[in-house]
Amino acid sequence: MRLDRILLIISIVVIATAFFFLLFPQSGKASKGLSAIFSNIHLGLDIKGGSVLEFAMATEDENVDENQLANDVIAVLRNRLDSVGYTEATIKKVFAGNKVRIRVEIPEISDPSKAERLLGKKGKLYFAEVLDSKVQEEKPTEKPFKYQDAVWLKNISAQRYYNETEWLLVREDIRIGAKIVNLDGSKVKDARASFDPKEGYVILLTFNNTGRKLFADITRAMINKRLAIVLDNNVLVAPVVKEAIPGGQARITGKFSIEEAREIATLIKSGNLPVDLIKVEENSVGPLLGKDIILQSLVAGIIGLIVVMVYMIVVYGWMGVVADIALVYNTFLLFGVLALTRSILTLPGIAGIILTIGTTVDGNIIIFERIKEEMRLGKTVHNSIAGGFSKATSTIVDANLTTILAGVALYLLGKGTIKGFATTLIIGVIGSMFTVLVVSRVILDLTSTLIKNKYSKALGTNEGVAK
Amino acid sequence: MKREIDFVGKRKIFIAISLILIAISIVSILVKGFNLGVDFVKGTEIVLKFNDESISIADLRNKLSEIKPEYANSRITKITSAAEATKGAKFQVVLKQFFDKPELKDEFTNKAEQIFGKDNVEILSFRAVSGQAAQELKTASWNAALLAIILILVYITVRFQFVYAIGAIAALIHDALITLGFYSMFSIEVNSAVIAAILTLLGYSLNDTIVVYDRIRENNRRLRGNPIDRIVNKSINEVISRTINTSLTTFFVVFILLLFAGVVLKPFAFGLTVGVVVGTYSSLYIASPILIGWIRKFRRS
Repeated sequence: MRLDRILLIISIVVIATAFFFLLFPQSGKASKGLSAIFSNIHLGLDIKGGSVLEFAMATEDENVDENQLANDVIAVLRNRLDSVGYTEATIKKVFAGNKVRIRVEIPEISDPSKAERLLGKKGKLYFAEVLDSKVQEEKPTEKPFKYQDAVWLKNISAQRYYNETEWLLVREDIRIGAKIVNLDGSKVKDARASFDPKEGYVILLTFNNTGRKLFADITRAMINKRLAIVLDNNVLVAPVVKEAIPGGQARITGKFSIEEAREIATLIKSGNLPVDLIKVEENSVGPLLGKDIILQSLVAGIIGLIVVMVYMIVVYGWMGVVADIALVYNTFLLFGVLALTRSILTLPGIAGIILTIGTTVDGNIIIFERIKEEMRLGKTVHNSIAGGFSKATSTIVDANLTTILAGVALYLLGKGTIKGFATTLIIGVIGSMFTVLVVSRVILDLTSTLIKNKYSKALGTNEGVAK
Repeated sequence: MKREIDFVGKRKIFIAISLILIAISIVSILVKGFNLGVDFVKGTEIVLKFNDESISIADLRNKLSEIKPEYANSRITKITSAAEATKGAKFQVVLKQFFDKPELKDEFTNKAEQIFGKDNVEILSFRAVSGQAAQELKTASWNAALLAIILILVYITVRFQFVYAIGAIAALIHDALITLGFYSMFSIEVNSAVIAAILTLLGYSLNDTIVVYDRIRENNRRLRGNPIDRIVNKSINEVISRTINTSLTTFFVVFILLLFAGVVLKPFAFGLTVGVVVGTYSSLYIASPILIGWIRKFRRS
């Protein structure tokens, strides 16, 4: 009886903990209906809808530190995504052999192409000297002979904020005397909007060490001339240089609104991707498909559960009821562990949960058959339960460990959503062992009077099972 | 008191049946091949929904060739499921082309909206896999399967004897080949979820096999002196009600999943449904009876 009491307490504590993690709101987000019950379960993008993009980095140099490069790429992509409002997106490194890949996951996105355009673009940002300017609709074609290496580009800040089309003749190779200097976006450490009491909203630029020196030289040579900041063949902004700036910190004024200053700063900062990105895989799921999937798995899961529960009661009587309790117990335990470990529930993961029904029932069946055998030997119900468990425990452990081994192999080597399947399978199988060996055991012991012993009075009943 | 079913006596017949099934499967796999999903071959899989439910696969193929002539030889499957939250006719289209640039996708979407009507068609999901990624998924799946089999082999050798491990692995290969044969024969898509299904059913089939082996090991000790085929047959008969009940309940669950599953889980549920039947059969009629010869030799030496 002492053992039973301990097992009972363990069973109750475990399921109470599971319920706590399942129901206690972690996110603070209000949700209704089914999603409220499962708000602590993290759904994969293949269910809730979203886009997963995986990019390879087109590195030409063999000796480049891919890890560091990937960090730089991630910083740039983060900026780009934040600037258009995809703040819930995650960007991370994944490894394919010895190659580093960039994986971007954007939940609940309606237009994945837009994100892909935004991410895949290398984005070339550079500083250029302005040689001439014209305000007109058509792009100017003529350029003086000595400026053959310069190009006419549109000043988009003029277009956007003053509604006039200004064309600037800019040259990327900035001449300082006889020297040619190039200053590109990789030398910009930071760009941000800031407020100045006299000037209003301004953009603050900070250069890195190499950038500071170049910028000092350029500004010294270009006082009272315009310096253009060019991104992907558009002039973002083209301020006039007032003075030489040796400190590596520049301030661009221009009667910007806060939004304008912020947008230009973001564009400057997220300008340069150090490497071309090549898409290797994409998985985009609209929200409608997810709805179908949830409904289908819910219906399949519930019908499966009911059929199995009825079958168990028909075949095993009261012991079947115990198996059914174990089944429900393990299902909630599984959801609780998913919430606790913050595992991501993917579509194959749902399949894993449904399969857990099978494993839990199996463990119970192994036990019940053993108990029946013990009863056939003429033991009392109570002794049969004890004997059944002592003989069946190793069978159950052996049988389930093989499923766990298959799950571990899948988890270690599987890719993408399949990992989600391995997760629920492993949690489910371990949970089912606990449920069968602890929870079923304690209920059977406590309710042993309800179990019919067909074999106690007369041997040779016409029970159709093997003897 | 109770007559035993003779599993062992007729083992030659059942082994012959299994060999024939395996042969048919191998022929189908070699001749017909698999209907591989984009997970394993380069391409783009698009799930489309039409509000107009009268559209047929042939119509869709015609219209796709208007977007680009080479899209005409894509694979199109109509998706049906017993439960659906959204109304309309749904199709899975697998293009051989990998959409590497967003422009290709935009072109597809825009032209599809033009041809079918913007209110009529909707893209539910979109999956593009490059040749490189497909190769990696293939390698990962093989590695996972290999690792699983090695782990299982080691485990059974440690817990039982190597003879049992050979028997178990023979049953596993039997199950995997026949299930894969069914995928080939019925042209069911093989994607990465199917690999998970195959590994799970190997776990299940093994589970059944181990329960029988466990009993053989126990009876071998208890009934020393009895002929081995008698012990094996008795053991199978002792655990058969467990095997039947477990297999039936698992079968209910996966068969219901097969009925209700949509585009992604259907191939997965198919494999498990076939696998539960094949796996149960193999653990009763194949895994243990083929041990008899080996155990006899083992006993003599």
